[in-house]
Amino acid sequence: MKVRVDRSVCVGHGRCQEFAPEVYTEDERGHCLIEREEIPPELEERARLGAGNCPEKAITIFGDEVRKSLDGAG
Amino acid sequence: MEKDPTHGTSKKEDASGVEFNLLDRAFMEHPQPVYQKMREKCPVARTNGFSGVVLFSHDAVQYALKHPEIFSSKMEAGFLGNKHPLIPLQVDPPQHVKYRKLLDPLFSHKKMVRREPEFAKLANQLIDMFIDKGECEFNSAFAIPYPCTVFLRLMGLPLEELELFLEMKNGIIRPDTSDPDEATRMRTETGERIHAYFEKAIEDRIKKPGEDLLSYFIGAEVDGERLSRPEIHGICFLFLLGGLDTVTATLGCGMTYLAQHPEQRRKLVENPEIIPSAVEEILRWETPVTGIARVLERDATLEGVEMRKGEHVTVLIGSADTDENAFPNANQVDFERRPNPHFAFGGGPHRCLGSHLARAELGVAFRELHRRIPEYRIRSGEKPRYAIAIREVQYLPLVFGAGS
Repeated sequence: MKVRVDRSVCVGHGRCQEFAPEVYTEDERGHCLIEREEIPPELEERARLGAGNCPEKAITIFGDEVRKSLDGAG
Repeated sequence: MEKDPTHGTSKKEDASGVEFNLLDRAFMEHPQPVYQKMREKCPVARTNGFSGVVLFSHDAVQYALKHPEIFSSKMEAGFLGNKHPLIPLQVDPPQHVKYRKLLDPLFSHKKMVRREPEFAKLANQLIDMFIDKGECEFNSAFAIPYPCTVFLRLMGLPLEELELFLEMKNGIIRPDTSDPDEATRMRTETGERIHAYFEKAIEDRIKKPGEDLLSYFIGAEVDGERLSRPEIHGICFLFLLGGLDTVTATLGCGMTYLAQHPEQRRKLVENPEIIPSAVEEILRWETPVTGIARVLERDATLEGVEMRKGEHVTVLIGSADTDENAFPNANQVDFERRPNPHFAFGGGPHRCLGSHLARAELGVAFRELHRRIPEYRIRSGEKPRYAIAIREVQYLPLVFGAGS
């Protein structure tokens, strides 16, 4: 599983970090930086929750879990 | 998946001339059932009266927040008594970005978390002042002084003048009149007082700079240029409105909810580790800043309703946050809801600049209040009293202890 953030959509809510600070960090303005694009299995669920927590839907999840992540994001 | 509300028609009933008034106290007390009724009837409605076109559905609200080039928050969106555009709110992208680059780092999540011990100390000092009495009027005892003290310290403004600041922000946010012309007059007059106050404060800081934000703004550069005097005024004016009202409102709405739902309150007391996610759920459910003002830059159609350039639009984030289409079991308050992508701090480029400050303040306040006062209720025979415009609970008499 991989995560990617659309930096043109992120506005710095910082909600992704709540669930997975190992995956999502922030730049000086508080906008999302991806710490690791390849997500190890033990972080998958939290990475997905972090993506679903973004009010702007700026984070996309790739890989064989795509369907699940889209459902999770509502 | 994200739906595009500009296509198709989901209009269910005639959406013109709908009776809906944001300035109604009964609505402010229990807005969630009203939101639901309105979303079912007409997700986008043209109302009688001041609210203009109101966006109720999550899809419509999300679209408006993400498209400031259509739904502008420029000065014409709503009169707030200011002579210069409020910065960054009333500046549209792309110019808006240069101000956010300056201001965002000052209020970053990391910086705000570092201040939590200072917030905890202040919260406990305030609690010390009333805990032995066994009761308090929560708004005056805690909800006002806690965030206002934090804000005034940050800005470098004198705490002794708190009453004056409260009077000035109330004169803008909720002028004491039902006559719209009188409200405009009062806002103009209050606005002039605010500008005069900051003009003097800026002059004082030029002579004697301190370690505060006001001094920082005077020396700060954007794209190699100092901020102009009107720009500094625009920032200070907005900070006064944003810094002195919203956290007070959220504390009051949250404590009222928790006093009325003891089984929910016990969850916080027994599991303090859920407090950060409970804060998010309180923000979602209560959304104290119910709606935000925008004006149309061009004609647009949302949910089958045609809107014209220049029309005023109320983007009802409170309704979006309780929309079943975006939040499963939206009417259930679940302190462990995950994920919880609410719009209580708005969204899009104008996302509340102070959101991380507010979160840090709220998390610390709910933690310390429930650690020291695990049981409380609203004094029997009394009712909390809600204000209009922003859902502030202006009167909340709490009695501590398990009660009879």
